[in-house]
Amino acid sequence: MTPAEHKEQPLLLDVRNLTIRLNSAVGLVHAVEDVSFVLREGQTLGIVGESGSGKSVMARSLMNLLPRRSVTQRQGSVVLSGRKISALSERDLQKLRGAQVAMIFQDPMTALNPVLTICVQVSEPLQQHLGLSKSAARQRAIELLDAVGIPDAASRVDQYPHQLSGGMRQRVVIAIALACDPALLIADEPTTALDVTVQKQILDLLSRLQTQRRMGMLLITHDLGVVASRADIIAVMYAGRLVELAPAATLFSAMRHPYTEALFNSIPRITDPSHTRLQAIPGRPPQLHNPAPGCAFAPRCQYAQQRCHRETPPVVLSEPSVSSVVPVGHTEHVHACFFPVTRPVAGGAN
Amino acid sequence: MKDKPGQITPLQLRERDDIVLRIEHLFVNFRVGKQTVQAVSDLSLDVARGETLGLVGESGCGKSTVGRAIMQLPPPTSGKVLFKGQDLCLLSGESLRQTRTALQMIFQDPISSLNPRRKVRDIVAEGLQIWGRPGQQARVREVMEAVGLDPDAVADRRPHQFSGGQCQRICIARSLALDPDVLICDEPVSALDVSVQAQILNLLEDMKQRYQLTMVFVAHNLAVVRNVSDRVAVMYLGKLCEIGDTESVYTRPAHPYTRALLASIPDMNPLSRHQKDGLPLLQGDLPSPANPPSGCRFRTRCPNAQPLCAEREPLMQTVRQTEHNELQSKATDVVSDHFVACHFPLNG
Repeated sequence: MTPAEHKEQPLLLDVRNLTIRLNSAVGLVHAVEDVSFVLREGQTLGIVGESGSGKSVMARSLMNLLPRRSVTQRQGSVVLSGRKISALSERDLQKLRGAQVAMIFQDPMTALNPVLTICVQVSEPLQQHLGLSKSAARQRAIELLDAVGIPDAASRVDQYPHQLSGGMRQRVVIAIALACDPALLIADEPTTALDVTVQKQILDLLSRLQTQRRMGMLLITHDLGVVASRADIIAVMYAGRLVELAPAATLFSAMRHPYTEALFNSIPRITDPSHTRLQAIPGRPPQLHNPAPGCAFAPRCQYAQQRCHRETPPVVLSEPSVSSVVPVGHTEHVHACFFPVTRPVAGGAN
Repeated sequence: MKDKPGQITPLQLRERDDIVLRIEHLFVNFRVGKQTVQAVSDLSLDVARGETLGLVGESGCGKSTVGRAIMQLPPPTSGKVLFKGQDLCLLSGESLRQTRTALQMIFQDPISSLNPRRKVRDIVAEGLQIWGRPGQQARVREVMEAVGLDPDAVADRRPHQFSGGQCQRICIARSLALDPDVLICDEPVSALDVSVQAQILNLLEDMKQRYQLTMVFVAHNLAVVRNVSDRVAVMYLGKLCEIGDTESVYTRPAHPYTRALLASIPDMNPLSRHQKDGLPLLQGDLPSPANPPSGCRFRTRCPNAQPLCAEREPLMQTVRQTEHNELQSKATDVVSDHFVACHFPLNG
């Protein structure tokens, strides 16, 4: 899809100024801070961040999946297909989960119940949400397993998760997620636990199914390479904040945030000769409790100045046309930095 | 085993004076219930002084088992592990313990490989204490500074007070304390954050220079392996598929498996989806190592498999170097350091 086509697509998900703070033994964790983005139908938004950047908490909060007791503060709004999530009752949310929105988690072994057959687990949403009979659900389950590329689905359907390999298990998880034809698929590190050859199969499968079904997809990963060629828009998170968001091609060719640049430069390239010195980022990601004032990346940033340690940079348009005020529902290039980088990265890519 | 390999020297072993580590016909079997799983099958390779050998493959291919078998953890089922000409498999008890100080290991999860109840100072000094080496305090300070830790600030702290990256630095300091010749790194950066990974990779390169280390680097990330290695060995289901100079293996993979691995790496170019490559995609999963396919173990997933592949196991052969460089007019019959175990190797 071209960016122009995207603009015509109706809004699927509208997240505005989402802030989530969690209680923990060490204090109040600022897990997600003022995150805004939109996702249109049929689009893929890649969310990239290191561990502890708040990407998974953000994803789970979209469906109110965080443990209620630990969430102490929740601000902002999440609107899915015109319905405000925070206004829904738990009952309505349950109707939504699995039917309109589905999630895929990192570890396929723990996502599946080890004592139930594949058939029972794939049928469950079909019976719950679509009201299919047991035998109809079984038939549909076999079709779904077939669609996600499980060979000999009719006999596999009566097996248990431990009888399948990691890649096959993740395919089952995908089949469950797709069972009710969701409008939005949230894939949280769907391939991190898998080998590289299987990773490619699973990512290709997700892309294909997404195109067929015109699903919106949030693809959450720590690997910039995973989203580079598969996401329409990429959002980079650091310490709970969205530091840069741009259409994929723009992000790689004209990144503005120093963290995006540093992350991009620190990854070893398959095309670089051996013993190429890597441009490491000094220090480590910050703790999310009791955050220091200013930009969270400032202590590790080579361009940081006085101001960065005092004030938190707001999210602004990277190419301000009339004003730098970010329009609502935008998918333009934005960044949160006082001193954005302008140097285009040589070659732009791998 | 039907065709037990004779005493022919495997082709990929080099006749050089500076070979530090040489593995010949290594087999490692594990009992799983009533079955025997051949985790490593007839593997031979060598590492020269100051060289880094990258060992790659998918999970379950036996790459970590090779690293551990070198350390005799546990000793291999059969085969030789020659360290400076001495077969470690023939040593036992005290002599093995003594020789093994020259080989050290770093593991994947730096936090769980450090004793949480001990101070960093004691963790790093443990090897020196066991062997009663002189000048322990000075040595501990030296290696800690070498890995980028400030001894005054961290020596009295315990592992839980450090991040994963810092813990990996402590592990590296510990492994260097006894001044080893060989460092075996088993997935040393795969548990670390992307932004910290580069720091540790750079550190390992620095330590290699500073202490003249020979390294065996086991990892599944091909980009990481390319960055650190002089030579690369690709394993599949316990077998060595391809071995050679890093440049040659990465730019001209001869084994279909190596090529598939390289093609599976997510592309950093956002435009690449518009120009989908025609490279063969690996179908299916790794077969069970308890019941490997006959002949070539890769044949069940290989796009180029022929009937021969099911019948005969491919032997290691030299990859012919066809020079495409027209400026070099001389017929290039260079002694190639690139070997492949395939009946139908790819060219170029």
